[in-house]
Amino acid sequence: MRKYILRRLAQTIPVLFGVSILVFAMLHLAPGDPVEVLLGPEANAESIEHLRKEMGLDQPLVVQYATWAGRMVEGDFGRSTVLNREVFPEIMKRFKATLILTAGALTFAVIVGVGIGILAAAMRNSIFDSVAMLFALAGLSMPLFFTGIASILIFARELRWLPSSGMYSPVGGGFLDLMAHLVLPAITLGAVSAAIIARMTRSSMLEVLGQDYIRTARAKGARERRVIWLHALRNAAITILTVLGMQFGYLLGGSVITEAVFSWPGLGQMMVRAIQSRDYPMVQGGVLFVSAIFVFVNLAVDMLYAWVDPRIRYS
Amino acid sequence: MSFLSRNALLRRSALVAALALSTSLTAPGPARAADSETLVVGLVAEPVTFDPTQIGDLNTGRVSRRIYQGLTGFEYGTYKIKPQLAESWEISEDGLVYTFKLRPDVKFHDGTPFDAASVKYSYDRQTDPEHPAHGALNYRYAKNYLGNIEAIEVIDDLTVRFKLKTPQAPFLQYLTVGSMGIISPAALQKWGDDIAQHPVGTGPYMLTEWEPGVKTVLTAFGDYYEGVPAIKNLIYVPIVEPQARLSAISTGEIGLTYDVPVESLDALREDPNVEVATGLSAHVWYVALDTTRSDPPFDNKLVRQAMNYAVDKEAIVKDIVKGTGEVSISPLSPIYGDAYNPDVQKYPYDPEKAKALLAEAGVPDGFSCTFMVPESGSGMQSPVEMGTFIQANLAAVGINCAIQTMEWGAYLTEYRNKPEMAQMSWNSVMGDPDYVLYRLFHSSAFPPGWNAGSYKNEQVDALLSKAQVITDQAERDKLYREAQALIVEDAPWIFVDHGQQIVAYTPALKDFKISPNFDFAFEYTHLE
Repeated sequence: MRKYILRRLAQTIPVLFGVSILVFAMLHLAPGDPVEVLLGPEANAESIEHLRKEMGLDQPLVVQYATWAGRMVEGDFGRSTVLNREVFPEIMKRFKATLILTAGALTFAVIVGVGIGILAAAMRNSIFDSVAMLFALAGLSMPLFFTGIASILIFARELRWLPSSGMYSPVGGGFLDLMAHLVLPAITLGAVSAAIIARMTRSSMLEVLGQDYIRTARAKGARERRVIWLHALRNAAITILTVLGMQFGYLLGGSVITEAVFSWPGLGQMMVRAIQSRDYPMVQGGVLFVSAIFVFVNLAVDMLYAWVDPRIRYS
Repeated sequence: MSFLSRNALLRRSALVAALALSTSLTAPGPARAADSETLVVGLVAEPVTFDPTQIGDLNTGRVSRRIYQGLTGFEYGTYKIKPQLAESWEISEDGLVYTFKLRPDVKFHDGTPFDAASVKYSYDRQTDPEHPAHGALNYRYAKNYLGNIEAIEVIDDLTVRFKLKTPQAPFLQYLTVGSMGIISPAALQKWGDDIAQHPVGTGPYMLTEWEPGVKTVLTAFGDYYEGVPAIKNLIYVPIVEPQARLSAISTGEIGLTYDVPVESLDALREDPNVEVATGLSAHVWYVALDTTRSDPPFDNKLVRQAMNYAVDKEAIVKDIVKGTGEVSISPLSPIYGDAYNPDVQKYPYDPEKAKALLAEAGVPDGFSCTFMVPESGSGMQSPVEMGTFIQANLAAVGINCAIQTMEWGAYLTEYRNKPEMAQMSWNSVMGDPDYVLYRLFHSSAFPPGWNAGSYKNEQVDALLSKAQVITDQAERDKLYREAQALIVEDAPWIFVDHGQQIVAYTPALKDFKISPNFDFAFEYTHLE
């Protein structure tokens, strides 16, 4: 097992290396110049040239990449060109907010998705099944910014049940305040995942429910509830877990739009601003950080398989 | 691990999730923001730094101007210069020496006294690489605003003298700019480059809490020399999404916001919980034409005039920006007062005249061209809609422009690379026409400068250069009026509109005025 983990960890190195090259190349080859965005309309050609040199942007791309990658290996993410602060502490600060949002969305997606999926499978071909799957399809097709803005207009502006945006109220704060602010963005972000999870749970449950041992369980007199929640769900869990792991990565990425719509102070919102202002160190550091998280979450999911299904062993 | 523990874990996590869900559903609705001493302001983007020399965006400037002040300032809601940290000043005959008498009763937020030495300290920090507080920063404004200063002398505690290299008429205006705010030397010595997180100025408010992405809290400064402001707390929160901003202002979550989408203006005006103020600024929105190009024939004045006649600017102002602008007849908006020239050649919407001019120019069948349009951008109003409208207007007289859209960051780079035909807008943080006319039309500002169309008229050059060095304001205004007449006749741009600032706020906020420099001077307001 330990050998397996070590091997998997080693495999993340080329992945992150590839990501670093990709993000670096995309940023530097995209049109737009950080110096001009930074200096703004007041700048003259001379100061542009001067700052470009100071930031090392006059060097060949390969040299720039090597310098940056070298520092990254040492754990130095560099300084944000816009905020004039260290990149890594900023990422960590924002990541906390993103994690809260992602966790909220995932909680919502799991409760709703797994719940609906199981019920739909148990009541296969019933009206509930059809309606639930219709909603799941609709949830899948709805773009985040639409559901987000619509929910602001309905629940914040018209009904006034919940705050429009942000993570805390301007005055006050605390856990309840955070939760009130979390509801709309978490549901917006989690809706698509809930739909995917519901569909996957349903089909995976249906497959399991057709197996012999389920028939055996029923035959020996187990109650239907026990059959479904214990015998079937446990065996359907592997598929659900895989989807969950992938959804976590999707939610981290999807949070960019949700954070922008709800002004959630997370990593995504910071990244959008960093991209607009061509804050190279911030964008590169941020993307690499999120990629690393994604890779490790996938690794963790693989580890979980062994726990959920004792038949799976890694060597 | 045994099944039981898995089961227990599952049960426990379900419980936690249910608890989280139930508490969130019973949580109170949106908090009402304001008591009579607190105003919550919804910013479009969060402030990024509180080192005034490093600020490059309006949102940060709007907050930072409460903290820092310059020697001169603007009378509330105007572009008129007034004494701020300086009580009075004298300008030598030759326009080279400015001597400022400073206010004696001013303190920095850290309690240290404001004096002549602190003025010199703040400015030398930007220009002298050996200065102890220079640090590792890049001072982007130093060259423009301080570059013409030969020396700053401390005459006594309350007298400071600036010697200029050449006469510079807008100098008093320069001193109002955000980056010319005076910082406490004691704080600079203590914090160095990190002054950005620990700002100490002389302004009516001081920074008391800054949670990036969440909120920025300013508190009234008890020792403020013009009296402690009536609103004691200013809380700035970033709300990126326009609909969320609208929702927050109508539910009372915030007390003031701006840049509201024009299509919601009518609904907002009817909302009893919201007051809407609009005000003209120095903004100008235009399409620059490369006057050196023969294909498309933008080097021909008749063609450029024809394009001005071909575009229905009234319709753009009325239908696209929904009346939040004024048709532009010149690069200067009327807010420039005596420097603004209303008697220039006019280009009313007249497609027939445009066709006649094109025929006279030798291109009766029109021509094709490429028209650069940003997807969005600071001050660009509705760039794509406006661009498409202009494209259709031009097509009606035979000029077929292909629109090329770009993301704002990329656009700014391309714009400075001699574009054929491109949209741009210009906002001015100070009230001097030099900042508009010299930078956009003088031949010394050819690309990559901001004279994107490489416009050159020797008479205009001479007028603008002269207006830059004389200090007699009436004489300067006259020169600028003459220059406008020449520029408008040459038509290096398609002149489109001057946008208005739109601010929505709670009716409880009294005495609020829109400032031409985009500032929100809450020290002059109060809440009822």
